[in-house]
Amino acid sequence: MFFRVIDKANLPDLVKGLTTEYEVVAPVAKGDTFVFAPVTDPGDIRLDYDTTLLPPKKYFFPPEETLMRFRVADNEVLDDDVFAAPRVLFGLHPCDINALQLMDNVFKGRYEDPYYLRRREQTLLIGVSCTPSDTCFCNVWETNEVHWGFDVFLTDLGDRYFASCRTVKGAEILDRFVANRQVDDTDTADFQRVVHAFRDAFDSTVDTTQLPVLLDAKFDSPIWDEFGDRCLSCGACSMVCPTCYCFNVEDRLEPDQKSGVRVRTWDSCQFKEFAAVAHGQNFRESRASRVKYRYYHKQWGYLSKFERVLCVGCGRCARACPAGINPVNVIAALQTGEVR
Amino acid sequence: MTAAQESRTRDIEANPYRPWPARITSITDLTDKEKLFELRIIDEDVREAFQFESGQFIELSIFGVGEAPVSISSAPSKQGFIELCIREAGDVTGAMHRKKCGDVVGLRGPYGRGFPFTEMKGHDVLLVAGGLGIAPLKSLINHIHDDRHEFGKVTILYGAKSPAEVLFRYQFDMWQHRDDFDLILTVDQPDETWTGETGLVTRLFDKIDVDPAITYGAICGPPVMYKYVIEEMRKKDMDVDRIYVSFERRMKCGIGKCGHCGVGHQYTCIDGPVFNYWEAMNLQGAI
Repeated sequence: MFFRVIDKANLPDLVKGLTTEYEVVAPVAKGDTFVFAPVTDPGDIRLDYDTTLLPPKKYFFPPEETLMRFRVADNEVLDDDVFAAPRVLFGLHPCDINALQLMDNVFKGRYEDPYYLRRREQTLLIGVSCTPSDTCFCNVWETNEVHWGFDVFLTDLGDRYFASCRTVKGAEILDRFVANRQVDDTDTADFQRVVHAFRDAFDSTVDTTQLPVLLDAKFDSPIWDEFGDRCLSCGACSMVCPTCYCFNVEDRLEPDQKSGVRVRTWDSCQFKEFAAVAHGQNFRESRASRVKYRYYHKQWGYLSKFERVLCVGCGRCARACPAGINPVNVIAALQTGEVR
Repeated sequence: MTAAQESRTRDIEANPYRPWPARITSITDLTDKEKLFELRIIDEDVREAFQFESGQFIELSIFGVGEAPVSISSAPSKQGFIELCIREAGDVTGAMHRKKCGDVVGLRGPYGRGFPFTEMKGHDVLLVAGGLGIAPLKSLINHIHDDRHEFGKVTILYGAKSPAEVLFRYQFDMWQHRDDFDLILTVDQPDETWTGETGLVTRLFDKIDVDPAITYGAICGPPVMYKYVIEEMRKKDMDVDRIYVSFERRMKCGIGKCGHCGVGHQYTCIDGPVFNYWEAMNLQGAI
């Protein structure tokens, strides 16, 4: 990898430079929380954010998007063009960069999803180091570190950033837009000190031993009824999840009924009708079965295909859940049989 | 491939969500609720690229209404046309039932894993269908029919609720007189005209001989049926990995993305819809 050091005072130059060629999206304050939003003034960026309400997935897989426009009379597609403007996501935490790689596995594969992938190709990712909040458990999945999938990653060394450039494009934007210098031994030593301190700052411990086996062997465990009783089926956990990709598709007609758009929207396996088929059979009618399925898929279904769990420990679902369901507690309950 | 064909292949693959126009070339009323539609994809290159296996499904697309997964009822040996047996059950199937011959609808696919036709060759086959479950099995039956010399004994057990709900009656009437298909029909609620068997399809297992060493099973029917039919096949000592089942789930996208058809740790649309029983028993909540 290619490394550079940037003085903190010069970082706004990088953002300003990027805004001349890209839409720059970064964490900004909203009320007492943070969101990813387009910025033009580097002063609005809050790199000290803990987490954002919604993950950056919305820039690749929007809550709602048009797949195609159609004409009813002859059932023809009028256009299915994918529009993707050049964009930089600035200030992503390691969990969110890891999450995008998990999403990539789904949207790539034998059937490539042109909507997601076109935006992915058009977007640069600039990561930034973080400090764990009280809901973070990325250390459990080792997604507190990120080794690829970004263009530049900035590790905060106090007065300067240790910039790791993973791609040619990443190295290029640094050289073009911001004063930087070569890394020396002091920088590397400071980098080591910072990343060790980061690793030691986590106090989340979750026993993830043999989760896939436990999910099967304890499939009928009463813990699912307890979590099911609490769950409100609101789907908030899926909406705020950086790795939840399920969607629904619906057709919307123009007022003249002659043409319309086919739209896809975020969906959640927690919604009652999610697994229902046309004849009225619902394969996951109970809330308990739906809560269980969410964990079953994330910790086993996805793993069986891609050898990683579909969770990065960002803790957004724990913050968003109105019923106080926290994945850390769900996994602990699966291990111990006791719901906390 | 010519340059034009290559570019068309790229078009077809460029957007897997894009349905291709297909013309309805024939409609046959089967029962009060089911019709058999024959479709022909309009674009010649797309039509030729559409090669499928028995047990696979398509996404039927009616713009302005939506999409629904439908299994293919015709055999892959019938080229150029696709038959779909459709029950009027939801918005899309309802809209399809209002279509007329010559109307254009959309389809994309074929999707999923079908029955292991090549592996089944040289063996006996026992097919068990309940109700609308005959729709995907008919593709397999027709395919076996077209390559009949490659198979041993072929037995078909089919149960319907009432004589009026027996699908593909005309075809079965024809086969019942043939020596190379053992076909037994049964209905739950016979009327005065019914001369065949009565009761559940599982009762027919007393009437058949199965050589478990050389027999493949194929099952499709309502969700409640699988467990009992598999039990009967296991009583006949058939191997768990030679019993194949086809599942119906909400295959919304058909391509392993939307998440609606999850069954156990798999997706019905790309990992199924056909699974062998060993796989199915490892899918939590499948049967």
